Amino acid sequence: MLTKNEDPPRGPSICFEMVGLCLSNITILQDVSFTVKAGDMHCLIGPNGGGKTSLILSLLGQMPHTGRIAINWTDGTTIGYVPQVLDFDRTLPVTVNNFMTMICQNMPAFIRTKKRYKDIINNALRLVSMDTKAERRLGELSGGEMQRVLFAQALIPFPDLLILDEPGAGIDRIGARVIEEIILVLKKQKVTMVWINHDLKQVRQMADAVTCIHKQVLFSGTPEEVLTTEKVFQAFSATTTNVRRDSP
Amino acid sequence: MVSIYNSIMPVVQRLAESGWLPESLKYAFVFNSLVAALILGPVLGGIGTLVVTKRLAFFSQAIGNAALTGVAIGIILGESYTSPYVSLFSFCIIFGMAMIFTRNRTKMTTDTLIAIFLCISLAVGACILLYVTAKVNVHVLDNVLFGSILTVNELDLNVLFVISFICILCGLGFYNRMVLSSFNPNLARVRGIKVIFLDYLFILMVTIITVASVKIIGAILVEALLVIPAASARNLSRSMRGFFFYSAAFSTLSCVIGIVIPMELEIPVPSGGAIILVAAFFFAATTAIRQLRRAYPALGKI
Repeated sequence: MLTKNEDPPRGPSICFEMVGLCLSNITILQDVSFTVKAGDMHCLIGPNGGGKTSLILSLLGQMPHTGRIAINWTDGTTIGYVPQVLDFDRTLPVTVNNFMTMICQNMPAFIRTKKRYKDIINNALRLVSMDTKAERRLGELSGGEMQRVLFAQALIPFPDLLILDEPGAGIDRIGARVIEEIILVLKKQKVTMVWINHDLKQVRQMADAVTCIHKQVLFSGTPEEVLTTEKVFQAFSATTTNVRRDSP
Repeated sequence: MVSIYNSIMPVVQRLAESGWLPESLKYAFVFNSLVAALILGPVLGGIGTLVVTKRLAFFSQAIGNAALTGVAIGIILGESYTSPYVSLFSFCIIFGMAMIFTRNRTKMTTDTLIAIFLCISLAVGACILLYVTAKVNVHVLDNVLFGSILTVNELDLNVLFVISFICILCGLGFYNRMVLSSFNPNLARVRGIKVIFLDYLFILMVTIITVASVKIIGAILVEALLVIPAASARNLSRSMRGFFFYSAAFSTLSCVIGIVIPMELEIPVPSGGAIILVAAFFFAATTAIRQLRRAYPALGKI
């Protein structure tokens, strides 16, 4: 537990106990149990289609999962969520500022951005170095820029628990660096983070803990303990065996 | 509401008689239809931006077809055939809700689902119409399908007032949340937005405004006014402000011009058809402007 000298983490701890998920008779997750410590940066890795995103959606209460997911809430805990993509028509005239305004206020974004949100939005965009592109249309952004905007929205209001669904996928080098920097700042503030990440090098460098999911927990622990060549090899080669078992 | 209307009408009629306003405005039906156009234009244009954003253009078409069936049911049930609002509203609302309910339950793609519902509603309509034609002149249905300003009465205006008011309230209150839910429902839910509720609410808005527009624009053509002005606005605007206000302006202008010009020039066309043709002109013009701006980027700054 905490020593007296340390600041208490601002983020909650999360406990997954025997979490299962079955959609249209297909088992997506089975007996998933592990713990995310308060204030930890916890990465989820695993092969594609292994149920990582489903696990995150279960954590957000958006899936009919079985078992128990306990988030150790305190009053006013806020969750930030960085989705993988936005689904919209790329020719829509919606600017970055419009999008951020829609996140913040109920008054329609086409009327105006309320004064008290202007600075908040600007600061969040500055953190991801997108403040100069605030008047760009969402459809004109590159994949990396879009991810940075999605990251910026998760910072309003400042989160205690941040859930990231592969923000690194398809991102450019500048974007990756910007996001790494913010994640380090959030880590210092002891925000709990659950991050789906495919970049094993990044996981090794930054994560406090890592869990590999492929329908079940294949392994879980600190990166030094579990990210051995043998285990990673096993995890990703398990894809084929399990898929074969699933097919009729 | 009626008293405001009654106090404005004589003033307008006097102005029309003295030559300050077009002469046709001294007729009550012209005045009625212009009032309807001025209310309907901005509301349809505004909701249209949401329809385009949420990619639900064909949904409103399905509702339009359902309106035809609604009218047929109304006539069978003995409602007045010029304004069978009870049957229209009940059938269209049930129809819209059933469609969104099925979509949420089956995870079927929206276009397939809309096509199925659209055909079912047409089939039911076609069957019932056989009985209806024995009771009333089938040309009455032209008014429902393509709009007829000659038949707009105070009841229609009052229905339009109330429905528009409801749509404006819901639309302004939930605009951002409706757009966000369509961008990413998971993100919207994390942000405390009730995605499913807003889905139903939006469908309800589109349904009731479609029904309220049946007299002016016609059941088949309402969809056009929900889509074309918004699409034209998208051609010109770079932000949501332009998108919304251009769309509302194009829609209102289409309604007004589509009503006034055929009347002034004495061209016997249905109001709905004329309105949509004006809207189509705006679309063609804005598309041309967009292409020009692409070809000559310097023009974009003007």
